[in-house]
Amino acid sequence: MIYFEHVTKKYEQSEGDKTEALSDVTLHIKPKEFVIVVGHSGAGKSTLIKLINCEIRADEGKVYVGGIDYKELKKRDIPYLRRKIGVVFQDYKLLPKKNVFENIAYALEVSGVKSKDIKSRVPKILEVVGLQKKEKNFPRELSGGERQRVAIARALVHNPRILIADEPTGNLDPRNAWGIIEILLRVNQLGTTVMMTTHNQDIVNKLKKRVIVLKNGKVTKDQATGVYEE
Amino acid sequence: MSNFIRLLKTGLSSFRRNGWLSLASITIMVLTLITMSMFLIVNVVLNTGIKTIQDKIDISVYFNDVAKQKDIINLQDSLAELKEVKSIKYISKDDALAKYRKQNANNPKLLESLKDTENPLPASLEIKVTNPDKLNSLTKVFDQEEYKLYIHKVSYKENQAIIDKLFKATQFTKQVGLAATGIFTATALLIIFNTIKMTIFARKEEVDIMKLVGATPGFIKGPFIIEGAIYGVISTFISIVVIAIFLYFLSPALINYFGGVGNNLTDFFLDNVVALVSAQLFVGVLIGVLSSWLAVRKYVKFS
Repeated sequence: MIYFEHVTKKYEQSEGDKTEALSDVTLHIKPKEFVIVVGHSGAGKSTLIKLINCEIRADEGKVYVGGIDYKELKKRDIPYLRRKIGVVFQDYKLLPKKNVFENIAYALEVSGVKSKDIKSRVPKILEVVGLQKKEKNFPRELSGGERQRVAIARALVHNPRILIADEPTGNLDPRNAWGIIEILLRVNQLGTTVMMTTHNQDIVNKLKKRVIVLKNGKVTKDQATGVYEE
Repeated sequence: MSNFIRLLKTGLSSFRRNGWLSLASITIMVLTLITMSMFLIVNVVLNTGIKTIQDKIDISVYFNDVAKQKDIINLQDSLAELKEVKSIKYISKDDALAKYRKQNANNPKLLESLKDTENPLPASLEIKVTNPDKLNSLTKVFDQEEYKLYIHKVSYKENQAIIDKLFKATQFTKQVGLAATGIFTATALLIIFNTIKMTIFARKEEVDIMKLVGATPGFIKGPFIIEGAIYGVISTFISIVVIAIFLYFLSPALINYFGGVGNNLTDFFLDNVVALVSAQLFVGVLIGVLSSWLAVRKYVKFS
């Protein structure tokens, strides 16, 4: 499903001075897998996500997602690729002037889905994340956990084959954090490949899922049912 | 269709949200369109006026009494061969007097005074030309040394001075109009560019989310371009109304000051209002869309 082959990504710090955010990374994530990527700030987690979402391109190596070679991917095809990949962020990225229903519907509107279909699809996805009674609420009226669930619903509304969650529990208390993890597990059980980045040792250790550890842009550990040690 | 309505709604809502910036953009765009239209109207009317005057002008060549009929007829024959000359008629001294008497038949005192004196009227040639533009070159013939002796006056030369002045005025109006329109257009481009830039910055979060959820560049850029076009459409409407009001209330003064030209301005506006609206709409929308497109190209980046 996701395949990185000797991928290197460098960022220019100043003129002529480049630092490696990812260095010769090779990894393979199979369909329906639940993978946790851990690492300190600057380890390369966000770069990994940006590469998968095609926000940036690799300097060296190859990236394949869902059988698509990103080197061959044309700029005009990127929006269509992103509709197949759901992304959730730590800061939710919800539109404050739109209510819950509108925030989720927005993802469908940009894809040109008819309003009749939007009206039938949004309530279903709200049910999956347990927010069916909050569809008229605005983000400011929701708790952190609820906002993150709206963000997950928006990411899932296209029925993506891959869900990327970048520190989804970073701003949440333990109770809400586990609520989000439960949703991600449920989504994974339904057949979606989930890749989550986190700092939270407790979550990693209790989940007993595959753990990829990144350090200074390199994969230092890749364990099937790993634990996370600082 | 629903996509177009969405673009229109988003563009309009952004236009409303921008408040003072929108007002500034509209104001400068209205000024641009009014300047452009007024100079266009004034130019067309002045040019039409000049053409009308030119069309009415014939050349009258008046001869001194020393000129013999034979010399005048010779000149008439050689002029008749020129392609610029449409027709040429010889008026002898006697013919001129007869014509004068006919014209002043109601003024017996004047006619009585002519009885005791020798015929004071000169013989002349009345020339009609094929093309008014050729008048100037034709009159050069009379400057030749051989004719200088017996030609008293060429009437066209006096008219030509007036026409030259009018031409210069038209040229000046055209240059000032072009310069003013250019300055206003550049200012409008700059102000709308900045307005759209502010809109893009204000909606940066929304733009990022749109990219995230798979919006195409067209979907993201569309509302900004539409916003630019809205400035053009609204400005066209306002400027046409302003010009109409201006001409309506000022037409008596214009007629007083400019005579027929003042009347022509109003007539030209009324006769060509559809063409003017179309031209303004085209220019206004073009300026709006171009500035928006430049701003979007610079500030909305895609990976």
